[in-house]
Amino acid sequence: MSAITLKDIRKSYDDGPQVLHGVSMDIGDGEFIVIVGPSGCGKSTLLRLLAGLDPCKEGELLIDGRRANDLPPQDRDIAMIFQNYALYPHMTVLENIAFGLELRKVPKIERIARARDVAETLQLTPYLDRKPGALSGGQRQRVAMGRAMARNSSTFLMDEPLSNLDNSLRVAMRTEIKDLHRQLGATIVYVTHDQTEALSLADRVAVMKDGHLQQFDTPDVIYDQPANRFVAGFLGAPAMNFVSAEQLGGWDAPLDVEIGFRPEALTLHHARPAQPAIEARVALTEMTGSAFILHCDSPGGRMCAVVPRGEALPVEGDQIWLALEPSQALCFDPVTGVRLDMPQTSPDQCRAVLARGAA
Amino acid sequence: MKPENPLLALLALTAGVLFLSPVLYSIWMSFQTADAYYTGKLDFTLSNYEMAIGQYNFARYLLNSVIVSGLVTIVGLAVATMAAFAFARYRFPGGNLMFGAVVATLMIPSHITLIPNYLTLANAGLLDTYAGLILPAISNGFAAFFLRQYIRGIPRALDEAAYMDGATPLQVLWRVIVPIAKPAILSMGLYIFITEWNNYIWPLVAVGREDLYTLQIGLARLYRIDPGEGVINWPLVMAASTITILPVLLGFIFVERHLVRGIMMGAVK
Ligand SMILES: Nc1ncnc2c1ncn2[C@@H]1O[C@H](COP(=O)(O)OP(=O)(O)OP(=O)(O)O)[C@@H](O)[C@H]1O
Ligand SMILES: [Mg+2]
Repeated sequence: MSAITLKDIRKSYDDGPQVLHGVSMDIGDGEFIVIVGPSGCGKSTLLRLLAGLDPCKEGELLIDGRRANDLPPQDRDIAMIFQNYALYPHMTVLENIAFGLELRKVPKIERIARARDVAETLQLTPYLDRKPGALSGGQRQRVAMGRAMARNSSTFLMDEPLSNLDNSLRVAMRTEIKDLHRQLGATIVYVTHDQTEALSLADRVAVMKDGHLQQFDTPDVIYDQPANRFVAGFLGAPAMNFVSAEQLGGWDAPLDVEIGFRPEALTLHHARPAQPAIEARVALTEMTGSAFILHCDSPGGRMCAVVPRGEALPVEGDQIWLALEPSQALCFDPVTGVRLDMPQTSPDQCRAVLARGAA
Repeated sequence: MKPENPLLALLALTAGVLFLSPVLYSIWMSFQTADAYYTGKLDFTLSNYEMAIGQYNFARYLLNSVIVSGLVTIVGLAVATMAAFAFARYRFPGGNLMFGAVVATLMIPSHITLIPNYLTLANAGLLDTYAGLILPAISNGFAAFFLRQYIRGIPRALDEAAYMDGATPLQVLWRVIVPIAKPAILSMGLYIFITEWNNYIWPLVAVGREDLYTLQIGLARLYRIDPGEGVINWPLVMAASTITILPVLLGFIFVERHLVRGIMMGAVK
């Protein structure tokens, strides 16, 4: 068990610009934290600082309340799962799993028993004597997992552990990881750029962009009350729609705020409805299985709506209206992108807030 | 394995015969008496070997060569592997300069360092000792350079995984890097061993005592020993040559099997 605290962590590589610009986080004991963000935003860098693989010179890193900036990796009681697994190619699966125990001088009989136990949990028993080269991607992934689990570390760091797997395996492994977290009770810091993974796994999600922490909160809050336009647009598929207020027909709101709404918040109308609605032309329909995604061209640009199956579908080129329940709209400052807080009760209040935001 | 292309098989066979025939001929010659050889009669005798070992002390030379080449290989590989690991994985002040210096040694012919080395060892009082034969050869710039390139090709994530597993740098080197780089290390070992085994000029300079002669020195001396009628005793020379090449041949056959296995292991990743 361990709690981790990051205080204003900064990092620049020797010959490059600054990569982390003051990241602060409090990670509770046993929490499942997912770090998301676009490629190059510094997720791996942050993880490597936690692991002790790169020196942490600026800011403070506390593990269980003790300063850990200068602690070498082997003294941190942290296990790490690498993006490409980094299995030792010259060792068998069993040796791979037991290696960490061997280095910690666990007696041979004990470490083999322990490694077999772990392999059993991960359904690796038939492959114990194989080298990693003779395993499938999913099996390698489980060996990497087993190597981390064998040592009973209090903290696991995982850098995009599922990114090399095909989709069905990824979904299966996602549940396995979640189960494992429940069984082990360990603290997990998990890096991904897959937002579905982030929302489905995390107790709390940390969204990063360009080395800045954008928001750090539960998936519900991240999804419903994103801190800014970036977080709103990054999480959720299809992505949130943004239009400037003046383009929203039927909504006589003050101008100069940007309004964001999720594709699920739109309802389809074939004629102009009474509530605020956007006039649009269907450009493309896409079937996802349980629903259809409509891609429409509106005065505010390309926009997506999700329509449950069974509703009458417009065909490409049709003129439609997409109605928006004002309580489901979010307002953003068009310049800074910060979300403007608004009590989500009535359209009247929304209008009032919009007025305030514009002022 | 069956030959896929008969033409290639024929080519390989021809090359094999071409390479092997002088070796086989000299081995055959080593079993002839001098008389039989010069008169063209056929004969079989072990007397040349008896003479090489009994009269000319070749057993001792063989032992010396094994000791010198063996130690040069083992110590040289250890030094080169550790240097290669440091150059491949660590950044330290002066590191690039040092690596440049190592590479630069590759361009200096050994004849240029011959006299400075001789003077250094003479000052240290190491002429006419095993240490004098071994020490100058254990730092091998080419081996360090070659292994560094190989180690750079091993993903650093493997080192990092081992550090996370609790390894010290030496454990990373010994338990992760060395096993993975085994094919390269073995090839280098073979190269160092053969080079040292065939080394003639340095043992000639560094050693005057007959009981420290290596095979190459002993072999060369046979040319200078007049067998009586002012002709070289070729069957004796061939017997001594056979003693000289046999260990290398056996060693190669042994290591080669490991090499193939190592290369195959490295290919699966
Ligand atoms: N060793 C290094 N030296 C210099 N710059 C680096 C180094 N490693 C990473 N960077 C830079 O730091 C930035 C952040 O990299 P990082 O690997 O943390 O991104 P990431 O969020 O993990 O991206 P991805 O999702 O693609 O893995 C990038 O701009 C990258 O170019
Ligand atoms: Mg990364």
